[in-house]
Amino acid sequence: MKKNKPVRCLLLILLLGLPILLTGCWDSVELNRRAIVSGVAIDRGEGETEKYVLSFQVIVADEISGQNARGISPVALYTGKGRTMFEALANASRQTARFLSLAHVRVLVVSEKLAREGIKDMMDVLERESDTRLTSLVFVAKDQPARDILSTMTVFSKIPANDLVEKLDTTSKQFGYNYRLEVDDVIRGIQLRGGGPVINGVTIDGNREGADTNDNMKTIAPRAVIRVTELAAFKDDRLKGWLTGDAALGTALLHNKIKGYPAVIRHPHEGYITFDVYQSQVELSVEGSDPEHPVFIVKIIQQAAVKESPNSLNLTSPKTLENLSQTLIEDTVQKMRTAVEAAKKYNSDYIGFGQLMERSNPRGWKKVKDHWEEIFAHCEYRIDADAVIRHTDMRNNSFQVNP
Amino acid sequence: MGKVKIGLLQFFSITLLFELGTSLVVNLGMASGRDAWLSILIGCMAGLLMFWGYAYLYRKHPEMPFTAYARKLLGPVIGTPVALMYIILYMNLSGRGLRDGSTMLAMATMHNTPLFILSMLMILSSSYVLHKGTEVLTRTSLVFTMIVLMIGLFSMVLLMLSGSINLLQLLPVLGDGLWPVIDSVVRQNYMFPFGEMVVFTMLMPYLSDMRKGPWVIAAAMLASALLLSATIALNISVLGADIAERSPLPLMPTISKISISDFIQRVDIFVVMVLIIGVFFKMSVFFTAALIGISELFNLPYRRMLYPCSLIILFTSMLDARSFTEHLDEGARLLYTVYPVFMIVIPVILIIITAVRSYFSAPRPG
Repeated sequence: MKKNKPVRCLLLILLLGLPILLTGCWDSVELNRRAIVSGVAIDRGEGETEKYVLSFQVIVADEISGQNARGISPVALYTGKGRTMFEALANASRQTARFLSLAHVRVLVVSEKLAREGIKDMMDVLERESDTRLTSLVFVAKDQPARDILSTMTVFSKIPANDLVEKLDTTSKQFGYNYRLEVDDVIRGIQLRGGGPVINGVTIDGNREGADTNDNMKTIAPRAVIRVTELAAFKDDRLKGWLTGDAALGTALLHNKIKGYPAVIRHPHEGYITFDVYQSQVELSVEGSDPEHPVFIVKIIQQAAVKESPNSLNLTSPKTLENLSQTLIEDTVQKMRTAVEAAKKYNSDYIGFGQLMERSNPRGWKKVKDHWEEIFAHCEYRIDADAVIRHTDMRNNSFQVNP
Repeated sequence: MGKVKIGLLQFFSITLLFELGTSLVVNLGMASGRDAWLSILIGCMAGLLMFWGYAYLYRKHPEMPFTAYARKLLGPVIGTPVALMYIILYMNLSGRGLRDGSTMLAMATMHNTPLFILSMLMILSSSYVLHKGTEVLTRTSLVFTMIVLMIGLFSMVLLMLSGSINLLQLLPVLGDGLWPVIDSVVRQNYMFPFGEMVVFTMLMPYLSDMRKGPWVIAAAMLASALLLSATIALNISVLGADIAERSPLPLMPTISKISISDFIQRVDIFVVMVLIIGVFFKMSVFFTAALIGISELFNLPYRRMLYPCSLIILFTSMLDARSFTEHLDEGARLLYTVYPVFMIVIPVILIIITAVRSYFSAPRPG
């Protein structure tokens, strides 16, 4: 027993020492040393040494909630410059009092200038870094520096980045052609042979003066408003052009990402009629046994409801509805055709026809993938659309029928 | 030997965790790209065949671990070095498992913690459990199997609900033909993780039911193969073959895609938990096999060599390679050069000797 005494003492010391290791706080950064970044804007700086100008929108936690609010801006924007993204991030630490925590970045805004130059170099760090996450949404700032987007005060959320995310969500459900595009979607897009990603555009409407102060919201009509706009079409990693109207909507349809959109039809005699298309199911297939001359088949089934029909049409007759759904079908086909033609114009297969080809005829794809652009430019496609108008909402005929 | 008996359920769970171990989180079978999930299934078939051989040896020598019947069959002059080599192999595999685990932890979450500290904590917890004995390890595995399966189920449901799964990304199946799949199986998948079942030749003498035991272990192998294959298919259908192929821990970005109404997100800590649990059991099983071997070979009490062994394993893991890339490259080469000798060649020789001997020594009627 006596012999064991030193051993026991040693064990006791060891036991007391071990818990220090077990806390696992080697890497810890306490919350009061962290600054949560909600959005990152990536601009093209001047020359090589300042190629990337990163602006971090940092949440000022005290201002968001809590009694300690000083009435200052709820977010702060810090900027770092560097030859690479990571250098720019590290560089920003000269301005920030806390560690920038990238785990909760919700939006990444790339300036149009950088997007036209190519985004593939900057995407690498976004997927490699273990703090950033793949679910951040990617935007391209149209005509503006990306930094302006993140330095605009917004009404519905104190954090402008969150406001932008919510705007994208609402518009994707109501107006159609924008949809969630995350970091990994962009990376997979860049890898499409002969194609590229599509990325949502974002812009600032109105007067930028004073947009980054509370004055922006003091008027009833905010002076500057962040707006989700057109889709940016890429070839490989370079921005080629902006898709608007039918081309953008058709593109979203071809990607099967549409939740709902308003379809406006011009009736030959009765003016405009509007439908709410609340369901669209798209299926793509290909007859690719001859890989040099593939025929793509787009099948689409839609369900719609009449929302606006200010005319003397007899909506109680199934026949009228049948005719209307026919025009709706034509409209859908027209949209998709415009979308495919736009893709051909930009010479970029961002629709993913090539990928479709690879999936259905992998051997044929190997033969054609090197000159896929040429084949895509001349490929045939067929659109089989079907639409059904389920109901006419709360009235059948318009009051204009019996004046 | 043979005093402690371990139940079938415990054996099932330890086999499951051993097989899932690190393979669940690492980039497995990705040499065959999009068809990695297929190469796991084929690899498992090969693994089951090999296990059938190990089970045969066990049935012929139910009371002895591998090192004992190797000496009995090959004679002490050849048998003792062979047994010693197996002990070294198990310690090496344990060290490699430890290195996998600690580096991946450092990559995934703890960027600034020294590797040595991570490894030390893991080996300490492992040697603590082994100090309590092998049956404690197997009983612990029962608890952790439940945790791992729950995490798996939970992540699967959440991924489906967040709509990140796109099964089309698995197409085309066998786009480059069967050859890359076979190549991946031959280079990697029949050995890792299924060939590593050779370590169970050291544990099987503890089986409480000699007849059902091997079947239970084989069933656990099959179950783990299905789980692994499903996980890999999940990774590919969420991330796409290319991103999955380029990730050292593809499960991590897959899980990070979970986002339900922007509310439930960043559940990647689950992957870290699975990683720690998996590494712990993979390492501990090899560790305990080495200990059983040592105590049997040198007639030492089981616990005496525990701490020296854990030191050896710790330093093996640290000195094994300078970078993780080097470590993986080394592992890939070992998989089809060194391991087959231990996992196929030597067992096959033993099987042949056993079969010949039992044929001649079988009691003849009349």
